[in-house]
Amino acid sequence: MPPTFAAVYCLGPTLAQLFMDPEVGIDLAGLIHGEQSFEWPAPVHPGDVIDATAEITGIDSKRGMTFVRLAMEAIRPADQTVVCRATSLMIVRAPA
Amino acid sequence: MTAPAASDVAIGDGVTPYSRTVTQEHINAYADASGDHNPIHVDPEFARSVGLPGTIAHGLLEMGILADAIASWAGGNANLLSLSCRFSKPLLPGDTIICTGTVVSVDDAGVATLEVGASSDRGDRVLTNGRATVRLSR
Repeated sequence: MPPTFAAVYCLGPTLAQLFMDPEVGIDLAGLIHGEQSFEWPAPVHPGDVIDATAEITGIDSKRGMTFVRLAMEAIRPADQTVVCRATSLMIVRAPA
Repeated sequence: MTAPAASDVAIGDGVTPYSRTVTQEHINAYADASGDHNPIHVDPEFARSVGLPGTIAHGLLEMGILADAIASWAGGNANLLSLSCRFSKPLLPGDTIICTGTVVSVDDAGVATLEVGASSDRGDRVLTNGRATVRLSR
Protein backbone atom coordinates (compact mmCIF):
# COMPACT_ATOMS: atom_id res chain seq x y z
CA MET A 1 0.00 0.00 0.00
CA PRO A 2 1.50 3.42 -0.85
CA PRO A 3 2.22 5.12 2.50
CA THR A 4 0.36 8.32 1.68
CA PHE A 5 -2.78 6.28 0.92
CA ALA A 6 -3.33 7.33 4.55
CA ALA A 7 -4.87 10.40 2.87
CA VAL A 8 -7.82 8.12 2.16
CA TYR A 9 -8.19 6.04 5.32
CA CYS A 10 -6.90 8.55 7.91
CA LEU A 11 -7.32 12.14 6.66
CA GLY A 12 -10.26 11.83 4.26
CA PRO A 13 -12.93 10.58 6.65
CA THR A 14 -11.96 12.92 9.47
CA LEU A 15 -11.19 16.14 7.58
CA ALA A 16 -14.34 15.77 5.49
CA GLN A 17 -16.47 15.82 8.65
CA LEU A 18 -14.86 19.06 9.75
CA PHE A 19 -14.70 20.89 6.46
CA MET A 20 -18.07 19.81 5.08
CA ASP A 21 -19.95 20.71 8.28
CA PRO A 22 -22.18 23.71 7.47
CA GLU A 23 -21.95 24.83 11.13
CA VAL A 24 -18.16 25.12 10.81
CA GLY A 25 -18.72 27.17 7.65
CA ILE A 26 -15.31 26.80 6.01
CA ASP A 27 -15.03 27.99 2.41
CA LEU A 28 -13.10 25.24 0.62
CA ALA A 29 -11.76 27.78 -1.87
CA GLY A 30 -9.85 29.45 0.95
CA LEU A 31 -8.46 26.26 2.45
CA ILE A 32 -4.70 25.62 2.28
CA HIS A 33 -2.91 22.48 3.42
CA GLY A 34 0.07 23.91 5.29
CA GLU A 35 1.92 20.98 6.84
CA GLN A 36 1.52 17.24 7.17
CA SER A 37 3.15 14.47 9.16
CA PHE A 38 2.57 10.72 9.08
CA GLU A 39 3.90 7.87 11.18
CA TRP A 40 3.21 4.30 10.09
CA PRO A 41 3.72 1.96 13.05
CA ALA A 42 2.31 -1.03 11.10
CA PRO A 43 1.48 -1.71 7.44
CA VAL A 44 -2.05 -1.55 6.01
CA HIS A 45 -3.23 -4.23 3.57
CA PRO A 46 -5.96 -4.27 0.92
CA GLY A 47 -9.21 -5.38 2.54
CA ASP A 48 -8.37 -3.99 5.99
CA VAL A 49 -11.13 -2.11 7.80
CA ILE A 50 -9.66 1.00 9.44
CA ASP A 51 -11.23 3.35 11.98
CA ALA A 52 -9.89 6.91 12.05
CA THR A 53 -10.40 9.57 14.70
CA ALA A 54 -9.23 13.16 14.83
CA GLU A 55 -9.06 15.97 17.29
CA ILE A 56 -8.43 19.66 16.85
CA THR A 57 -5.29 20.39 18.87
CA GLY A 58 -4.97 24.12 18.21
CA ILE A 59 -6.62 27.11 16.57
CA ASP A 60 -4.79 30.41 16.03
CA SER A 61 -5.82 33.44 14.05
CA LYS A 62 -3.45 35.96 12.56
CA ARG A 63 -3.44 38.32 9.58
CA GLY A 64 -6.95 37.29 8.61
CA MET A 65 -6.06 33.59 8.46
CA THR A 66 -7.04 30.80 10.82
CA PHE A 67 -4.48 28.07 11.54
CA VAL A 68 -6.14 24.79 12.52
CA ARG A 69 -3.93 22.00 13.88
CA LEU A 70 -5.31 18.48 13.95
CA ALA A 71 -4.07 15.10 15.17
CA MET A 72 -5.45 11.87 13.74
CA GLU A 73 -5.06 8.23 14.63
CA ALA A 74 -6.05 5.26 12.48
CA ILE A 75 -6.63 1.86 14.08
CA ARG A 76 -7.32 -1.57 12.57
CA PRO A 77 -10.02 -2.87 14.96
CA ALA A 78 -9.47 -6.53 13.92
CA ASP A 79 -6.18 -6.64 15.85
CA GLN A 80 -6.37 -3.29 17.70
CA THR A 81 -3.23 -2.13 15.88
CA VAL A 82 -2.47 1.55 15.33
CA VAL A 83 -1.57 1.77 11.63
CA CYS A 84 -1.13 5.53 11.27
CA ARG A 85 -0.68 8.65 13.38
CA ALA A 86 -0.91 11.94 11.56
CA THR A 87 -0.89 15.67 12.20
CA SER A 88 -2.13 18.33 9.80
CA LEU A 89 -1.95 22.09 9.68
CA MET A 90 -4.83 23.51 7.66
CA ILE A 91 -4.92 27.24 6.93
CA VAL A 92 -8.28 28.89 6.30
CA ARG A 93 -8.10 32.18 4.44
CA ALA A 94 -10.83 34.73 4.94
CA PRO A 95 -13.11 35.11 1.88
CA ALA A 96 -11.62 37.57 -0.61
CA MET B 1 14.01 -5.27 -2.69
CA THR B 2 15.65 -4.89 0.69
CA ALA B 3 16.61 -1.81 2.66
CA PRO B 4 20.21 -0.60 2.57
CA ALA B 5 22.22 -2.21 5.39
CA ALA B 6 22.72 0.00 8.43
CA SER B 7 26.45 -0.72 8.25
CA ASP B 8 26.57 0.63 4.67
CA VAL B 9 24.66 3.87 5.30
CA ALA B 10 26.63 6.97 6.31
CA ILE B 11 25.59 10.46 7.33
CA GLY B 12 25.45 12.57 4.18
CA ASP B 13 24.29 9.72 1.94
CA GLY B 14 21.61 10.86 -0.46
CA VAL B 15 18.42 9.45 -1.86
CA THR B 16 18.77 8.72 -5.59
CA PRO B 17 17.58 11.91 -7.40
CA TYR B 18 13.96 11.42 -8.41
CA SER B 19 11.90 13.58 -10.77
CA ARG B 20 8.33 13.39 -11.99
CA THR B 21 6.43 15.73 -14.31
CA VAL B 22 2.94 16.30 -12.91
CA THR B 23 0.22 16.91 -15.48
CA GLN B 24 -3.40 17.99 -15.03
CA GLU B 25 -4.30 14.36 -15.86
CA HIS B 26 -2.25 13.21 -12.84
CA ILE B 27 -3.95 15.82 -10.65
CA ASN B 28 -7.40 14.73 -11.87
CA ALA B 29 -6.53 11.08 -11.20
CA TYR B 30 -5.28 12.00 -7.72
CA ALA B 31 -8.54 13.87 -7.02
CA ASP B 32 -10.43 10.66 -7.86
CA ALA B 33 -8.05 8.43 -5.89
CA SER B 34 -8.01 10.61 -2.78
CA GLY B 35 -11.60 11.90 -2.91
CA ASP B 36 -10.31 15.50 -2.72
CA HIS B 37 -12.16 17.25 -5.56
CA ASN B 38 -11.57 20.79 -4.27
CA PRO B 39 -12.01 22.90 -7.45
CA ILE B 40 -8.67 24.69 -6.90
CA HIS B 41 -7.09 21.41 -8.11
CA VAL B 42 -9.35 20.56 -11.05
CA ASP B 43 -11.12 23.72 -12.32
CA PRO B 44 -8.72 26.31 -13.83
CA GLU B 45 -11.37 29.03 -14.06
CA PHE B 46 -12.33 28.58 -10.42
CA ALA B 47 -8.67 28.50 -9.33
CA ARG B 48 -8.02 31.83 -11.10
CA SER B 49 -11.13 33.33 -9.46
CA VAL B 50 -9.55 32.81 -6.03
CA GLY B 51 -6.25 34.40 -7.01
CA LEU B 52 -4.22 31.37 -8.08
CA PRO B 53 -2.35 31.29 -11.40
CA GLY B 54 -4.43 28.23 -12.34
CA THR B 55 -5.03 24.82 -10.83
CA ILE B 56 -2.44 23.56 -8.34
CA ALA B 57 -1.43 20.02 -7.43
CA HIS B 58 -2.65 18.54 -4.16
CA GLY B 59 0.06 18.83 -1.50
CA LEU B 60 -0.52 15.18 -0.69
CA LEU B 61 0.14 14.21 -4.32
CA GLU B 62 3.55 15.89 -4.03
CA MET B 63 4.10 14.20 -0.68
CA GLY B 64 3.17 10.87 -2.26
CA ILE B 65 5.85 11.36 -4.93
CA LEU B 66 8.34 12.26 -2.18
CA ALA B 67 7.34 9.11 -0.25
CA ASP B 68 7.89 7.09 -3.44
CA ALA B 69 11.36 8.61 -3.85
CA ILE B 70 12.35 7.70 -0.30
CA ALA B 71 10.74 4.25 -0.43
CA SER B 72 12.66 3.48 -3.63
CA TRP B 73 15.91 4.20 -1.81
CA ALA B 74 14.67 2.43 1.34
CA GLY B 75 13.86 -0.85 -0.39
CA GLY B 76 10.07 -0.54 -0.25
CA ASN B 77 7.11 1.22 1.31
CA ALA B 78 7.19 -0.91 4.47
CA ASN B 79 10.59 0.54 5.44
CA LEU B 80 9.31 4.13 5.44
CA LEU B 81 8.34 4.67 9.10
CA SER B 82 7.43 8.35 9.07
CA LEU B 83 7.36 11.40 6.81
CA SER B 84 6.58 15.04 7.47
CA CYS B 85 6.87 18.24 5.44
CA ARG B 86 5.56 21.75 4.88
CA PHE B 87 3.72 22.65 1.66
CA SER B 88 5.58 25.90 0.99
CA LYS B 89 4.87 26.71 -2.65
CA PRO B 90 2.29 25.37 -5.09
CA LEU B 91 3.23 22.90 -7.83
CA LEU B 92 1.48 23.70 -11.12
CA PRO B 93 0.42 21.31 -13.89
CA GLY B 94 3.36 20.77 -16.25
CA ASP B 95 5.92 21.35 -13.50
CA THR B 96 8.53 18.71 -12.80
CA ILE B 97 8.98 17.94 -9.10
CA ILE B 98 12.50 16.97 -8.04
CA CYS B 99 12.73 15.09 -4.72
CA THR B 100 15.85 14.89 -2.59
CA GLY B 101 16.87 13.36 0.71
CA THR B 102 20.02 13.19 2.82
CA VAL B 103 20.78 10.95 5.79
CA VAL B 104 21.40 13.04 8.93
CA SER B 105 21.60 10.28 11.54
CA VAL B 106 21.45 6.52 12.04
CA ASP B 107 20.47 5.24 15.48
CA ASP B 108 21.47 2.03 17.31
CA ALA B 109 18.21 0.36 16.27
CA GLY B 110 19.10 0.79 12.58
CA VAL B 111 16.66 3.62 11.89
CA ALA B 112 17.95 6.37 9.60
CA THR B 113 16.63 9.93 9.81
CA LEU B 114 16.71 11.90 6.56
CA GLU B 115 16.19 15.54 5.72
CA VAL B 116 13.94 15.47 2.67
CA GLY B 117 12.33 17.97 0.36
CA ALA B 118 11.27 18.81 -3.16
CA SER B 119 11.71 21.63 -5.66
CA SER B 120 10.04 22.40 -8.95
CA ASP B 121 11.93 22.78 -12.20
CA ARG B 122 10.95 26.48 -12.02
CA GLY B 123 13.13 26.73 -8.92
CA ASP B 124 10.39 26.89 -6.29
CA ARG B 125 11.01 24.95 -3.06
CA VAL B 126 7.62 23.24 -2.92
CA LEU B 127 8.15 20.83 0.01
CA THR B 128 10.32 22.11 2.87
CA ASN B 129 11.17 21.24 6.49
CA GLY B 130 10.86 17.60 5.48
CA ARG B 131 11.92 14.71 7.70
CA ALA B 132 11.66 10.99 7.13
CA THR B 133 12.65 7.92 9.11
CA VAL B 134 13.60 4.68 7.39
CA ARG B 135 14.17 1.19 8.79
CA LEU B 136 17.50 -0.12 7.50
CA SER B 137 18.39 -3.79 7.28
CA ARG B 138 20.80 -5.29 9.83
